[in-house]
Amino acid sequence: MEDILQKIATNLYEGEDQEVAELVQEALDQGMTPDEILQEGLIAGMDEVGRDFKAGDLFVPEVLIAARAMHAGMNVLRPLLTETDAASAGKCVIGTVKGDLHDIGKNLVKMMLEGAGFETIDLGADAGPEAFVEAVREHRPQVIGMSALLTTTMVQMKATIEALEEAGLRGEVKVMAGGAPVTDAFAQEIGADAYAPDAATAVEVARRLVA
Amino acid sequence: MIELTERKASIQPVKSKLRISILDDKEIEKINQTARDILEQVGIMMPSDKALTILADAGADVDFGTKIVKIPAQLVDDSLKTAPRRYTLCGRRPDLDADIGGDKGTYFYCSGEAPKIVDLETGERRHALKRDVENMARIADYLSIVSLIWPTVSANDKGMTAPLHGVEACFNNTEKHVQTESVMDEISARYAIEMASVVAGGREELKKRPLHSILLCAIAPLAQDRGGIESALVYAEAGLPVGVMSMPTLGLTGPPYEAGSLATGLAEVLSGCVLTQIAAPGTPNFVSIIPSVVDPRTANYFMGSAYAQITSAAAVQLAHSNGLPITACLSFGGSQWKLNNWQVGIENVYVHLLAVMAGADMSFGPSGMIEAVSLLDMRRILFDREILQVVDTITDGFEVNDHTLAFDMIREVGPRGMFLAHKRTAKEARRLWPPSILFEEPTRPDERYRDPVEVAHEAIQWILENHRPEPLPEDVRQELRRIVAAAERDEELKRSIEG
Repeated sequence: MEDILQKIATNLYEGEDQEVAELVQEALDQGMTPDEILQEGLIAGMDEVGRDFKAGDLFVPEVLIAARAMHAGMNVLRPLLTETDAASAGKCVIGTVKGDLHDIGKNLVKMMLEGAGFETIDLGADAGPEAFVEAVREHRPQVIGMSALLTTTMVQMKATIEALEEAGLRGEVKVMAGGAPVTDAFAQEIGADAYAPDAATAVEVARRLVA
Repeated sequence: MIELTERKASIQPVKSKLRISILDDKEIEKINQTARDILEQVGIMMPSDKALTILADAGADVDFGTKIVKIPAQLVDDSLKTAPRRYTLCGRRPDLDADIGGDKGTYFYCSGEAPKIVDLETGERRHALKRDVENMARIADYLSIVSLIWPTVSANDKGMTAPLHGVEACFNNTEKHVQTESVMDEISARYAIEMASVVAGGREELKKRPLHSILLCAIAPLAQDRGGIESALVYAEAGLPVGVMSMPTLGLTGPPYEAGSLATGLAEVLSGCVLTQIAAPGTPNFVSIIPSVVDPRTANYFMGSAYAQITSAAAVQLAHSNGLPITACLSFGGSQWKLNNWQVGIENVYVHLLAVMAGADMSFGPSGMIEAVSLLDMRRILFDREILQVVDTITDGFEVNDHTLAFDMIREVGPRGMFLAHKRTAKEARRLWPPSILFEEPTRPDERYRDPVEVAHEAIQWILENHRPEPLPEDVRQELRRIVAAAERDEELKRSIEG
């Protein structure tokens, strides 16, 4: 019995998404509980990924394929989990701000957040302040993440924060900003709660913000 | 430190007798074919109905829903036939003209458009302002190694019209060719071109002597920016040169292979050239492919990589095989690294050598950029200048003839003689000891050693205090001011930028 959980964790670590999905199904067929498979298979594997990434032994692409394998396993497991079992690390609305189509960085942050167990609502690129406000109203996230690559669009971050204030929602979410031209000082100046220089740090920052 | 003397602006391309080929003919053909396969089968996203309509009318397969255009290889090849291989990027004076494709060597840019600057007085890192654009344009005007100029930083104090303020700041502070890479919407493009016309003395004069141009940057992988592409079309219609750049990051926005990233990069730049050639046949196009690698620890963009640089140098052969001039872009001539550390040193010697030896028509270089083109340190441009002097000397080789073999001189001086006191040595010593701005030797025993950064600081201050570029006539300056002010009040521009 233990063997298959170990196999799930190892395959997840290696980023073998199909194998992980199959092994999760196999474990269920053997009569293991969804919670057991989640905790001792998937999360155990992801924890090891997190530890080795922090130690510098794993690179981002390896974390991403592991996250995808986690996702594949979760797809099998999710319908069977009770709400408390499936509790996420937090909820985050994320988007590239208005006028900006550069969404690679944002997508990366999203993948890393999901790998760390966050539930994300992706507004895509060119997301205006009203889209953020609407999403905050609808999804009630703890965190929003804004991204910009251009100096001409980073001003939209401030506009987004102002829109949240006007809608009376600023107090309900923590705001995280990032992207090549953005700095810690800029994030502070526009009234964001935090800044992250890269995708890996964004996860740590998000964890801190929801703690 | 050598004595800095006030002089008029001049330009100096770096010519190379040495040539390197990274790709053989078969490899060039394969990459060209793959780029055409990408354009024809995968397509490029162009979120501009104006651009898509132009391409659809020319026979491309356009999906107006997804905004993806698939361009048949035949259309690519036919369109590129009208792109000139040789043209001039003009300065205000003919002796400041860059003869692109005229075998004069590699013309270097002072480029960047960085958001931040190291304040020269306080050393503080801060967001750049319009006066920084003005100051850097003046420094670039003074240094002959700079042939072409961008606003090197963003005028962050000017909001949505910062790109136009940047262009104005350059026109007012240099006589050299001014290029923009941030005028990225149709309405701003019209204002910028109006400014250039005023400086040139009219639309027709501007067409004849294009002293302004644009560089459009694609969004890797395989997309163009709506505003950017529409701005480029306005430039092409005005008869101004249009460059198209691609920045594939190996393993992030491009495949994790040099060849594959060159293929996607080439597809991106060709899509822009094809569009401008169809819209305005004969538009002087140039391309630029600047690969980088992904830093796998953070997934950040990383330009300081030998894998990226060799890929960039190979792009020179690809551009030329398509009949297009190229701006080599190796780390933007800048660096991932901070000023005055050993990595900057090695990187900047080999990137400039690669660009010149690969035969690039233009190259980014003496820009003072650090931290991956996000930060300007004005002092650095003098280090760039030193490196380019060395590159110029190395790539130029030397002459072998009766005069330089100097048999008569050797016979005259004879065994155990001395060449130092010879008249010809007195003359040639000047050539063998080119002026360095940064090298200084203490003249007194008690004189302290000065770090070259300190010497550079003093030299930059000297240039800023003393160099006065030839001013534009007062009425022209006022007209530029009026145009920028009109743009600031333009509600349509505001809507266009804010979406």
